[in-house]
Amino acid sequence: MRKKMGEIILHGVMILLALIWIYPYVWLFLSSIKPPEEIFTRFFPSRITLEHYKYIFTMAEKMERPFLRAFFNSLFVTLTVTFSVVFTSSIIAYGLSKLRFKGSNAVFNFIIFQMLFPGFMFIIPLFVLIRKLGLYNTYSAMIVPFLMSAWSLFMLTQSYKTIPQDYIEAAKIDGASTLWIIFRVMVPLSRSTLSIVGLFTFIGIWDNFLWPLMVVKDYNKMPLSVLLATFNHEYAAYVGPLMAGSVIQTLPMVLIFLIFRKQFLQGISMSFK
Amino acid sequence: MSLKRREARLGWGLVSIYLLYTAIFWGYPFVWMLILAFSRWKFVGSPKFVGLQNFFRIFEDKIFWRVFLNTMNFLSYFIPMVFIASILFAIALNRMKYFKTFVTLSFLVAYVSSGVAYSIMFQRIFSETGPINRFLYNAFGITIPWFTDPQLAMLTIAIMVTWKFVGYYGLILYSGLQAIPKSIFEAAELDGATSWVKFWKITLPLLNPAIVTVLILAVNLSFGIFTEPYMITGGGPMNRTLTFMLYMYNTAFQRINPSYATTIAIMTALINFSIVIFIRKVIEKEVTVV
Repeated sequence: MRKKMGEIILHGVMILLALIWIYPYVWLFLSSIKPPEEIFTRFFPSRITLEHYKYIFTMAEKMERPFLRAFFNSLFVTLTVTFSVVFTSSIIAYGLSKLRFKGSNAVFNFIIFQMLFPGFMFIIPLFVLIRKLGLYNTYSAMIVPFLMSAWSLFMLTQSYKTIPQDYIEAAKIDGASTLWIIFRVMVPLSRSTLSIVGLFTFIGIWDNFLWPLMVVKDYNKMPLSVLLATFNHEYAAYVGPLMAGSVIQTLPMVLIFLIFRKQFLQGISMSFK
Repeated sequence: MSLKRREARLGWGLVSIYLLYTAIFWGYPFVWMLILAFSRWKFVGSPKFVGLQNFFRIFEDKIFWRVFLNTMNFLSYFIPMVFIASILFAIALNRMKYFKTFVTLSFLVAYVSSGVAYSIMFQRIFSETGPINRFLYNAFGITIPWFTDPQLAMLTIAIMVTWKFVGYYGLILYSGLQAIPKSIFEAAELDGATSWVKFWKITLPLLNPAIVTVLILAVNLSFGIFTEPYMITGGGPMNRTLTFMLYMYNTAFQRINPSYATTIAIMTALINFSIVIFIRKVIEKEVTVV
């Protein structure tokens, strides 16, 4: 009996905490559809309005804060990088894990060595490089430095190593080319690792703030995160539109998380090993 | 023989794509990092070699040590808060039978919130007229200057970051808990161990690898904070929320001193490393489950 009571209390407390944890999101979302005067005075809106969303898409344009464009900028940059990381690591990891040649171990150790350095150490020298290459204030500045990643290569190499050599031999006997082996044998068998790599890359790039803040000054090329930050700095009084902008910026990450939550949980339990 | 050579050639071919790329976007910046740290340069002209001067300057830089104290301050709030909260979360989740998915998802949605948007959101939630102060005023007749008080601002940021990361760290600890064989607890129960003893003598020691992972992640995170102070406080009040990253950014782009900014980044990494090594030395234990 006492045990049962304890269980009920435990569940009650955890559900309450879960509600507290999503409260900020609920508040944010409700604020974005409330009349402006109710944002700080009521929790539930007396009427639902889309004026903040309209404002951020039309008026912001006139204030030279093109939100819709920024949304597509973010989407373009993020999808390009994610696709490239997934594509390049699926191919290169094959060389590192399944082909025997002198030096492959050294390269793999070098990749682990690279991961020891925190990204912020290179951020200013990388900025210098981008300027020297003439890429300052271009889309390339946000894309090119992230096209391949040591972490993704490491993850995928580890995953490829668990695939038995027999599969590859069998495919070779059937006359399969290297690319066929990679995309018809290796990739399907490492689907879960590959989706973790893709997911974390997507979220990392979509949410990247410091780097695009440094390399992009043109409002038309800014990703959503940077544009929203400038909007917050210059038009902080427009709380409603800011909330709408925040909802728009958060939505893709939350959606992707909800859709791929299984892969997400796998990725988290992997980070512990 | 020729087959072996073909394999080697293909291998090098694939790997060299990465090596070439990394030489440009990792190797070249690496060299520039060293050049910048030992020279004086203002984005134009050629760098002037100054030896260790940038490093000496750090030791006399009052703001740098303010930033150091701020980060220690942040750690002293953040580590206990996030650690206790996530271990409780993991234990509770381990005992739950129903609504597990709902609880996990609610905590993890915080983890995927976007840096800029969640800073804007918390800035308003903790603002003078925001919902938290309104609740406190209605319940206790007080309001708290969350971001404007020099003592409180860092704590408030630590609360925000804790909100974001409890779910993530909690799940790492949770998967550690799940890896502990049930038979050990059963054996201890037969020997008459209380749940308190079981927690201290079995759960905590066997959870060691997960605990070390969480602590290292949390320390690394603390040294990389940028978005929250940049968006909300700008480093104020009285430089109390100035972080290493914010100081580095300001030094490079407002004071136009990329060489000193790089030195700051290197020093930050060194301090970060030493704390991580300290944690591994003191806390990390070999765990063997028989």
